[in-house]
Amino acid sequence: MKKSTLLILPTIAAFAGLVAVQLDYVPALATTNGSVRLAMLESSDPPPDAQADDSYIVAQSGRAPKTQAPKPAAPAPDAATAPKVDETALRYFARQGDKRRLEAEIARLRALYPGWTPPADPTSVMPQADTALDAMWKLYAAGKLPELRKAIQERQTSEPGWKPPVDMLQLVELAESREQLINASDLKQYDTVIRIGSSHNSLLTCSDVDVLWRVAEAFAKTDRVARAKDAYGYVLDNCTKPEERLATVQKALPLLSRADLDALLAREKTNTDGSKEFDSIRNDLARKAVADAGADPKLMVPPADVSRVEKLANDIVEPSDPLILGWYYLRRNDPVSAEKWFRLSHDRENAASSSQGLALAMIAQSRPAEAEATIYEWRDSSDGAKAVYMAAVANLLAQDPPVEIAPAILQRMVPEVMKAKDANAAQQLGWYAYLLNQFETASGWFSTALLWKPDDEPSSYGLVLTHEQLGDTAGVADIQRRWAGKSDRIARLGELRNTRQRGLVPSPERFGTDTSTANQTVTQPTTNPGAPATALPQDSSVVEANPLSTTLAPTLADRVAETIARTRAIQSQNQTEPVRSAPEPRRTRPPQQTMVNTGQRASRGCTTTIDPQTLSPDGALTRGWCLMDMNRPLEAAAAFERGLLSRSEAAKSDAAYGQSLAYLRAGLADKAAVAASKARQKQSRQIELDTALLASRATDSFTAGRYNEALLALDQRARIAPERNDLMVLRGYAYMNLNRLADAQRVFKAVAATGSKDGLRGMATIRAIRNKEY
Amino acid sequence: MKLYSLALAVLLALVWSNTSMAQTSAKAHVKPDDWRAYKSRFIDTSGRVIDDANGKISHSEGQGYGLLLAYLANSKADFDLIWSFTRTEFLLRDDGLAVWKWDPNSKPHVTDSNNASDGDILIAYALVLAGSGWDRKDFTATAKTMVRAIGKTNVIEAQKQLLLLPGVTGFSATEREDGPVINLSYWIFEAFPKFAALDQATDWNRLGKDGLSLIDVARAGPRSLPADWISARTVFKPAKGFPPEFGYNALRIPLYMMRAGVTDRAQLEPLRHGMSPDGTNVAIVDIPSGTATETLTDPGYTIIPALVDCVLDKKKLPESVTSFRPTLYYPSTLHLLSLSFVYGQHPECL
Repeated sequence: MKKSTLLILPTIAAFAGLVAVQLDYVPALATTNGSVRLAMLESSDPPPDAQADDSYIVAQSGRAPKTQAPKPAAPAPDAATAPKVDETALRYFARQGDKRRLEAEIARLRALYPGWTPPADPTSVMPQADTALDAMWKLYAAGKLPELRKAIQERQTSEPGWKPPVDMLQLVELAESREQLINASDLKQYDTVIRIGSSHNSLLTCSDVDVLWRVAEAFAKTDRVARAKDAYGYVLDNCTKPEERLATVQKALPLLSRADLDALLAREKTNTDGSKEFDSIRNDLARKAVADAGADPKLMVPPADVSRVEKLANDIVEPSDPLILGWYYLRRNDPVSAEKWFRLSHDRENAASSSQGLALAMIAQSRPAEAEATIYEWRDSSDGAKAVYMAAVANLLAQDPPVEIAPAILQRMVPEVMKAKDANAAQQLGWYAYLLNQFETASGWFSTALLWKPDDEPSSYGLVLTHEQLGDTAGVADIQRRWAGKSDRIARLGELRNTRQRGLVPSPERFGTDTSTANQTVTQPTTNPGAPATALPQDSSVVEANPLSTTLAPTLADRVAETIARTRAIQSQNQTEPVRSAPEPRRTRPPQQTMVNTGQRASRGCTTTIDPQTLSPDGALTRGWCLMDMNRPLEAAAAFERGLLSRSEAAKSDAAYGQSLAYLRAGLADKAAVAASKARQKQSRQIELDTALLASRATDSFTAGRYNEALLALDQRARIAPERNDLMVLRGYAYMNLNRLADAQRVFKAVAATGSKDGLRGMATIRAIRNKEY
Repeated sequence: MKLYSLALAVLLALVWSNTSMAQTSAKAHVKPDDWRAYKSRFIDTSGRVIDDANGKISHSEGQGYGLLLAYLANSKADFDLIWSFTRTEFLLRDDGLAVWKWDPNSKPHVTDSNNASDGDILIAYALVLAGSGWDRKDFTATAKTMVRAIGKTNVIEAQKQLLLLPGVTGFSATEREDGPVINLSYWIFEAFPKFAALDQATDWNRLGKDGLSLIDVARAGPRSLPADWISARTVFKPAKGFPPEFGYNALRIPLYMMRAGVTDRAQLEPLRHGMSPDGTNVAIVDIPSGTATETLTDPGYTIIPALVDCVLDKKKLPESVTSFRPTLYYPSTLHLLSLSFVYGQHPECL
């Protein structure tokens, strides 16, 4: 087996360095003349004394020259043929009891002189009589290197002929280099770190792993990860202090890839108790992997990591590990598992984070009441907790099927909504009141929501409905004016009112519900002394603006009506909001669950199949709109047909308009065009129908391969309305099919400029066609 | 080798009439008592040169001055002391140059990795002198590495001139709207002939020559003085973001010129006249108006115009500047550099 050892200097360079050191003071920069570099040499032999059998740890093993060092060029006066190993430093440290420096010096001398053995008892020799020299060693031991330099120089001046011990010069140079390396490392001057490390391999020993760590870091930070890995591996292969080995892997954690880390972990030793020395690191790695995946659902986590964390979560009675798992599962749309782990964490410590997670898992499982109860006490602990609380409130109010909310809960929710100025929750309170026929209250909440979020269409829709219910035609008209051209359903409300009976839109009796249940639970805190006024908005300015004369009371069945409103919103605006089952953990505001009703419960107004001919024309008209609301356009068209027989011109116009829309929705453009002509329409409606008809005709023509006709329809439409992106794309492909590539390219480019992927795709297609042609 | 120096001397004779600085060697020009007084005041036991007027920080310039003065005082021990600190605490940059600032009150002490080219030049110059004067090959080797790095990273050519950037970062044409920005007091003219002998990659003699002509070009305003910080982008003018003044930086320019052997009256007289409206003290001058915003009376400053009088007219120095007493780091440093020049080159002015 080839065992790689961290070889910093090629052997020859090591000698050159040694000789140079003995010759003179060699600052780091003077020796880095390009030939010296960090080298990872493969050594076929294991380091001879890597596992030192004595108490001295020798880290340099394997790097030591195999041959005798050449004779120093400037030998000490008594040097004979063999190199004299200068043990003055060693003996000084031994006498001082400075074990750390003693070990380091022995390691250094061993590396330099492989045949040398440390004295059995370095303290045994007679103390030196040279007190001046002792004072110098003292300066060295205190790290006062500049002062030591000065002292050496002063003595050389005052005692001509005096020479400092060779190893003193070597050691002070080495210590200066170490200082320089550490300072450079602190300043992120990684090239300097590597340069010094390269030229001072005596620094890279197990007796000073900090330097090894810094060199490894410098490698990692200068895109030499393989060398960084080798440097960390060197420590693990050669150094024995358990806490330093552990710290080595910890240092590597942020710098190396998981694969490289796993390779380092493989060098772990087995403890006497049978456990592995890096178990704690493996645990941390697994925790980190699972925790990262808890913030990013796209991250893949090795199953072993998940099961390791699960085992830790069960074995160690701490809240943190199960918490990590909770977020992990929540992010992976597994709220059941998430709840299990959040609950375990929560049981161990009722904390904000676990409460938040638990609440989100409950919301994701449509249990907002429990969520509200869980997060309530933590609602003010952070913005995230507040957001989760608001999500619980909104979901609780908007629950489907609706549940009764205890008055006490309602009363504590209201001030929170006011404090948080949460428009969505205010809107939900509006619907809640609306469905209890508490229109004044509903109006107050919708207005409040709009105060906080002025462009909120759903709240405006709620408000327009309440105005309608309260007979406030001016209010209705005002909102319609403000939303003209921006919300179809708000715009159409007035038209519907002309033809439909007031109260068609949610009203309990219309759905045959038992209103007595509602009456049972109605509470009116403002008038009922038993109910505190805290149910009212706290902010006085808001109270003034939105006087809530009544408060909310829950019923069950009435809630159904709200879903009509929502369904209508979704259908008429033709916009669908995705159902999100797993809200985001932390930071971002958890999305509220949005219920897309299938229309079954909402269908009572026109579910039964009735022959429209049996209805009065006006009744048929009403039924037509109801069927449109349920997205049953063909039946609606039949009902509108009957409605056309009305004697009222307005009703006839309404019926023709409705029928045209119905056929358009059914994809029958020709019939829609005919229907539109059956009665006079207001100009705005005529334009609306014409643009829709022409769009439909263009699409039909295109589908049938009649591209010129499609372009004709598009051109006609473009004269009365701006061209939508999807129609521009259609135009592009029509040009393309007519081989008008330049025109197609121009159109796609314009579409792409709006950020549309379809535009980009079109451009790519044109490119592909052109490339084929050339 | 000798031939080469001779040729160089002939070449330089046009600019520098006197190259005797090259022979200073280890002959002491800073008196032992003066040096003792200086170091006990401004150099701590760890070898750190302290700018006591500036929050007791240290900078590469100060370390360079300390090394140069220690060499001129022929104190090997103090040189080793300062060098040990300089090397371990300042010589940290990846490019082999020194960081510019060391703050005793911050941890780590060095937080900005930028350099200051005058500090680098002073350090390298002191190492060159000590390397040859005391036969220390290690100093010479380090000096060579530094000189190469200074040339490579701080010397640029712009408008057909060789310019010295004050630092690697922050002064170039790409980094500043009015860049390159230069500081003429960063040209330590006496160092360049030495550098030229060590490193041929940069034309150090041309840098010195161009610098001397730039001083003339940059003189402006009623008092005809160069600003500390100059934009060399188009027409030379005071750089943005700096006061448009002949200030603490620029006042050392004549000293550096004279130390490098400049004796040209046409070059020295306008500076001497401009910097000392009353003939004795040194003024910080607002370039556009020519008004003195501050009058400096410290002998470390006032010795500079007196030195010009000495060099040009053999006038004796006033007694107020001939004896040294430490005041603050910067004027005291200039004072010793001035005195060492007088002792070595113009003892007749004493």
